[in-house]
Amino acid sequence: MIDFLSGLAQRSLARRSLLGTALALPLLPAAARAQQSGPIRIAALSPLSGAGGAYGPSMVKAIRAVVEEANAAGGILGRKVELVVEDDQTNPEAAVRAMRKLIDVDKVSAVAGVWASSVAAAIAPLCWESGTMLLTCAGADALTNLPHQGFLARTQPNTTLQGRKFGEFALAQGAKRVFMLSPQTPFVQSQFENIAAAVKAQGGEAELLVYDDKKPSYRSELQQALRFRPDAIVLGGYLPDTTVLVKDMLRAGFNGTRIAFAYSVNQKLIESVPADTVEGIFTIAPSPAEGSPAFKHMTEQAGTPTPDPYSTQSYDQANLALLAMQAAGTASGTAIRDTLRKISQAPGGTVVSTVTEGLAALKEGKALNYEGASGPCDFTEKGDIADCQFRYEQVKAGKLTLLRIA
Amino acid sequence: MLSYLLFSITIGGVYALLALALNLAWGSAGLVNLGLAGFFGIGAYATALATGAGLPVALGLGIAMLAGVLAGLMVTGMTLRLRDDYLAIVTLGFGEVVRLVALNERWLTNGADGLSGIAAPGKAALGTAGFNWAWCIGVSLVVLLVALLLRRLDAGPFGRALRAVREDQELAAFAGKPVLRLKLQAFALSAAIAALAGALYAHYQSYISPDHFQPLITIYIFLAVTAGGLGRPLGAVLGAYAVVAFLEGTRFLAAEVPGIEPVQVAALREALVGLSLLLVLHLRPRGVLPERIPAAPKVSA
Repeated sequence: MIDFLSGLAQRSLARRSLLGTALALPLLPAAARAQQSGPIRIAALSPLSGAGGAYGPSMVKAIRAVVEEANAAGGILGRKVELVVEDDQTNPEAAVRAMRKLIDVDKVSAVAGVWASSVAAAIAPLCWESGTMLLTCAGADALTNLPHQGFLARTQPNTTLQGRKFGEFALAQGAKRVFMLSPQTPFVQSQFENIAAAVKAQGGEAELLVYDDKKPSYRSELQQALRFRPDAIVLGGYLPDTTVLVKDMLRAGFNGTRIAFAYSVNQKLIESVPADTVEGIFTIAPSPAEGSPAFKHMTEQAGTPTPDPYSTQSYDQANLALLAMQAAGTASGTAIRDTLRKISQAPGGTVVSTVTEGLAALKEGKALNYEGASGPCDFTEKGDIADCQFRYEQVKAGKLTLLRIA
Repeated sequence: MLSYLLFSITIGGVYALLALALNLAWGSAGLVNLGLAGFFGIGAYATALATGAGLPVALGLGIAMLAGVLAGLMVTGMTLRLRDDYLAIVTLGFGEVVRLVALNERWLTNGADGLSGIAAPGKAALGTAGFNWAWCIGVSLVVLLVALLLRRLDAGPFGRALRAVREDQELAAFAGKPVLRLKLQAFALSAAIAALAGALYAHYQSYISPDHFQPLITIYIFLAVTAGGLGRPLGAVLGAYAVVAFLEGTRFLAAEVPGIEPVQVAALREALVGLSLLLVLHLRPRGVLPERIPAAPKVSA
């Protein structure tokens, strides 16, 4: 219904038929009306407090850098771009209240920098009902299976892809029996299933144990894991529980392969535990496209020499939303939905990596293929990222050493 | 703007129901319930699962309240000998248990992914604008009804007996009041109202997840009841709407402060919540609408 109505509004405006507009507008719900004058507004709904509070500020900074660059390049559709920032408090209840304000009061056409999976799932219905484009870094598989009518796209690889990479990596290390230890997360099940699928295809075995992430010791969990006689253990947890777990692993005398997410076994963890506890652990993470023109440009614009994956993704989300509106010629969420894939992955399109380049190419009437700071940014029909590079590292002498990016 | 106002009033109504629930247990009977978010969650999950299995929404709301009553009886049964801080800690634990069960029993609750696509009655028939209006009016009416009902209970013999238990339960028992039964009734009714709030929230938002039921919401409701007036149903309602107005209003206020980063705006909002509680407690220690204790009737000679 809303699709049809906003489509109607666009068509009538495109024809500049005043009569048609005057007749159509009073019939529309307020939110379905596209912004047609004044500044174009987009939103950043990021975790500025709560569990995700460590990531939000730099994500907002990256999005703001894009908006400022777009305004310096003359704006989008000749109009100024305004960024409205709200804190989601890493809580879906608070996030819904913030999102309603962004939709109903600020009438934003897109929201970017959405981090937690539960927050993305809670605000997704508001977005598709109001025709607001939702761009997120959330990884839970269930998200893109929602009936989002195209109003949701994510720059984070889903866990199916991540699980497969973990499984393949374990096999490449010569492991046949893989045990996964993880707290309860939205992605543990599909992560494990995909590891198991990859390992079993080569005749191996895999088993999963879900633990409580607030325990002071994991000795009994490790005993259960060791009974399986694993060649490799996958650590699926976050920083606090993984810190405890790696210490208990050393005590339990496990000397097989250990593979962890890069966000849990990071420099902070390595520095907080004795060196021999973490020596040799492998880490895997979706890799930002380090060295790409977009990545270099972003580090200059946002002023962070080593941005985390989420801020590179937020940076790309803002670029994609703005370029899509310029390419569509209309400032609305529906316009972004309909043109997103025409600027992110047009076959044979001009490769661009900044909003300035993109605007210039669009003025010349060229098709675009945006290559971002987080990766190629090509989307599937469902809104998942089509492919993504992964970064493999290993702890050597108390330092994370890059093995390869592939 | 209008739909945002309607939305805020509806959420205010859900908060008001929670505040009424807390006021009944804490304000009238002196049973500190820090597990409010747990009962809120039980109601939300009960109706989501029931309507998900094909039952009509009205029945779902009934099942949610029944689930709340059962959980309330269970918690009171387990904590008969506990009062004050000790009861508060145990109920806080109960709230977390509910959230952890919702997180880990994937077969029932779909785990951390949450339940999406919960039936939203009226959304298809009325359209988005009509839905917002209908729910705003409907939830407000429910709040009015529950508040009037509780006010009547509060002023009646039941309310007086609860207060007697709150002030001194040995003395109340000595005076012949059935202390255990009164506690069970008050806590179960309170849990049923909190579960109703959860059920309404679930249908209104059509998505719930374990993350919704973090203790954050319990803290907001304690703030609402304290500010509004502990021991007075209308005070709790006023406090709840005031808290939502405050939480939403600070978005616009904090954004007007020049020269600060978004992360500082977020921190400023949280600081304002704490500051306002301090101010209320300093200026109106018994809340905006303090409890009314009628004078004892004069004994005629």
